[in-house]
Amino acid sequence: MNATLSAEKNFADPDLADVARVLTGDVAAFEGIVLRWQGPLVNMAWRYCRDRGRAEEMAQEAFLRAWRGLANWRREGSFSTWLFALAANVYRNELKRFPVETLPLEDVPEAFGPASQHREVEERIRQEAVRRAVLALPLRYREPVVLYYFHEMDVAAAAATMGMPEGTLKARLARARALLRERFPLLKVACTAMELTALTTGKEAMS
Amino acid sequence: MIQHKTNRTVAEVTGSCREAMDETRIADILAGEGELIPSSGFLASVMERVQQEAVAPLPIPFPWRRALPGIALTAGVFGWGAVELIRQGLPELTSLPPLTLPAALIAPAVQAGWVAMALGVSLLCWLLARRLAGRGGLL
Repeated sequence: MNATLSAEKNFADPDLADVARVLTGDVAAFEGIVLRWQGPLVNMAWRYCRDRGRAEEMAQEAFLRAWRGLANWRREGSFSTWLFALAANVYRNELKRFPVETLPLEDVPEAFGPASQHREVEERIRQEAVRRAVLALPLRYREPVVLYYFHEMDVAAAAATMGMPEGTLKARLARARALLRERFPLLKVACTAMELTALTTGKEAMS
Repeated sequence: MIQHKTNRTVAEVTGSCREAMDETRIADILAGEGELIPSSGFLASVMERVQQEAVAPLPIPFPWRRALPGIALTAGVFGWGAVELIRQGLPELTSLPPLTLPAALIAPAVQAGWVAMALGVSLLCWLLARRLAGRGGLL
């Protein structure tokens, strides 16, 4: 009965089916896994290092580790959770061995000026500056930010990938955001004048 | 007074409003990043390395069974030496009878002793290495 259920589950989940085939010696079955997960793993690596060539090298290393470790996967969680945790571990170690060259957070330029006439370009440069500033955060704050936004703001998924409690991840995210806010004070301009006017008008009417 | 109070409240509310907007703004920037498409050769490159790994011979495990007698013997010798040292006491070592060799032979004899010991250690290493590699006998 259990074997039947397991077989049905394998059939339904292409990852499980491919893993089962790989474990029986079918090396080519691993191609299916790479095909399905190459995008996420390369993108995740890209967020860690922001270097395309290096991101692909790191993702390749992650796939190799996955290949070597498939037999040890205990199937306690989903395949993707295991793969992302393994990849995060590979990327973290890789960046410890060869850190990304970054400016200190306080030296990251904030591209913003009232005289600028090229709003679109300016906006793009500013966005890139914020993303690069994430790389300048200390690793303990950088990684939660990278994984939280990689997992489309899913705290549980990011915490599972990092192998830490959700509360710890939330605390680190809050600290990382505070550091970014301190570094980019001009983003505060976003509070619109209209809201302020409405607020002031309301207060004046009351007084 | 009322005006002052109103200004402070506006400042406070503005602060919290700005903080919330900052978070949204940073979140928008970080979440709104475009997708990177892996290069066309990525899959082939990964599979090539996987194939290489698959055909590579398994790493040779450390031969614990063969090494165990040697390890036990070494541990035994060192243990016995330590026990003897403690039993006889360190100060007594200095009261060993002096060598009775002629003065002219003392230096060469000491040299020869070192050479003999080095040769003995080398022989032991060679024998141990051969044993670990799975070959018996001297040759």
